Amino acid sequence: MFEYIVRRIVYGLLILLVMTVFTFVVMRLVPGDVVTLQLAQAGVVSEEQMAALKSEMGLDKPVWQQLLIWLKGALQGDLGNSLWSQQPVMDMIAKRLPVTLELVGLSVILSLLVGIPLGVVAAVKHGKWADQLIRVTAITGLSIPNFWLGLLIITFLSLWFGWIPPIAYRTFLEDPVVNLQKMILPALALAVTLSASTIRMTRSALLEVLHSDFIRTVRAKGASERIVIYKHALRNSLISVVTLVGLQIGILLGGTVVLEYIFSIPGMGSLIFETVSKRDYPVVQACVLIYGGMFILVNLLVDITYGWIDPRIRHQSSKA
Amino acid sequence: MKRKDVNGVAELSQPGLQLPAAQRAAPRSLFWDECKRFVRTQPTGALSLLFILLMTVTALLSPVLAPYEPDAQYRESIMVGPNADFWMGTDDLGRDVFSRILYGARISLYVGLVTVVLSVIFGTLLGVVSGYFGGIVDMVIQRVMDGIMAIPALILALFIAALLGPDTKHVILALVVVETPRFARIVRGEMLKIRETTYVEAAKAMGARAWRIMLRHGVPNMVAPLTVLASLAFGGAIIAEASLSFLGIGTPPPNPSWGLMLSGATRYMENAPWLVVFPGLALSLSVLAFNLLGDALRDYFDPRLPS
Repeated sequence: MFEYIVRRIVYGLLILLVMTVFTFVVMRLVPGDVVTLQLAQAGVVSEEQMAALKSEMGLDKPVWQQLLIWLKGALQGDLGNSLWSQQPVMDMIAKRLPVTLELVGLSVILSLLVGIPLGVVAAVKHGKWADQLIRVTAITGLSIPNFWLGLLIITFLSLWFGWIPPIAYRTFLEDPVVNLQKMILPALALAVTLSASTIRMTRSALLEVLHSDFIRTVRAKGASERIVIYKHALRNSLISVVTLVGLQIGILLGGTVVLEYIFSIPGMGSLIFETVSKRDYPVVQACVLIYGGMFILVNLLVDITYGWIDPRIRHQSSKA
Repeated sequence: MKRKDVNGVAELSQPGLQLPAAQRAAPRSLFWDECKRFVRTQPTGALSLLFILLMTVTALLSPVLAPYEPDAQYRESIMVGPNADFWMGTDDLGRDVFSRILYGARISLYVGLVTVVLSVIFGTLLGVVSGYFGGIVDMVIQRVMDGIMAIPALILALFIAALLGPDTKHVILALVVVETPRFARIVRGEMLKIRETTYVEAAKAMGARAWRIMLRHGVPNMVAPLTVLASLAFGGAIIAEASLSFLGIGTPPPNPSWGLMLSGATRYMENAPWLVVFPGLALSLSVLAFNLLGDALRDYFDPRLPS
């Protein structure tokens, strides 16, 4: 198991490197750059001024040298400074990341709370009207873009109840009530897609398990339907649900961008959105690195959870 | 038609002689049989397909069907709710929301179609080469694809679209970069399986070249998973285009992109809720149709899965 985890971590780091090189090169290949953008605000500028600013930012060196300098810094925990505000990128990320993590965490919890029970009901009532209803709900939930849902929530809450989410953002520690008031609606909008896929995955995985031989054995020994479903079948289908959450984390993270924008939440999504069009290279680079890192980390955790849910996998990999 | 009937009769009396004609006729009737089976076993999928076709026709005919020009501004009716003249109301510039939604379908379908076609082509090429050759080629292609896929789809699309500036072409480029690895991965998996089959071995034994095996034996055998993924990716592309346009880095104004219409609506949500409701409804319904079609195709191609 240990060796397996180490191998996965090394592989994850390799992916992270590929991703970094990809974004680094793409950002510099695309026409238009930060120097022109910054000097455009100043009005008329000479060639010398442009060159001076370029070398000040280290952008006069070849791309591969810039990449090496950046990588060297990143390995030492220094992600550079913003080209616009001169703030250390690390500080910016440290402020924004917890906000997005809270949003994602809340919506994962909401999705599992809704998705797993509904999925179980659909599988148990296979083919009955409850199953049909849940299936239709799930596919509809999967098709509604979550930013539209966010807009609908804001519109109709204020239209019907005159309620508007608090304007200023407070962290959970500063003011838990305001924080939750602001976060719960976007989390809800975000959770709809994930709970829809959780329902579908729970349902199909549970159906498959319920048709397997060992369930027949459990039933044959006279176990109650409760025991069959909750102790035996659900546990064995959870593995697919966990994988799904791992795979969907990318969709969830993508969804945060638009929802943070709509609900004016100062998270990672609004940070990358604000900085990418200003070509704030170090900040964007760091954001992409964090997003990719989160995706890889979650999928690594998913793989480790496999072993925890299914002891067979744990023993297999420790033998190998 | 007449000749076919004669052949049919002749076939009964002299089956051996009519083999070429039977072979020619077979694929067409097989295709129709399969279509009928799809409609019979997947009624929801068939309805969704019908909806998509209807939507395409409506989008193509929008100059004829729309009651107003999408950009025409009616100064006397600014932000009026749905009524007999303006079925879905008007926006802050006095433009007819219904006409704009009809024209907007063109943008969504265009972005979805071009994205899916290009991603299928590039993804298939990369996946087939990766799966067939294996080794170092496979390693390099797969690591690059993994690297791209580790960036959340919408973040990557936003990254590329925002760098390039608001333009429908840039949205498509961004979405192709996002979708290609997903197609490449599934095609590679299929190619790995196909590579080990006996018919590929037979083709190799007959001296078939690599490209011939990939194109003639590989690709036709992965139509099923590709169709399913294409249908789901189409819906995904429509949502992504709307999201990017909503953020102001997708289709530029004054084009009637659904995302752009929603973005304009945010300023008047309480006063004009119809501006939020109708474009979003159009968006959700079209994505729902593609998702239902994708689901139906999956069940149709693989009846073993519990449906």
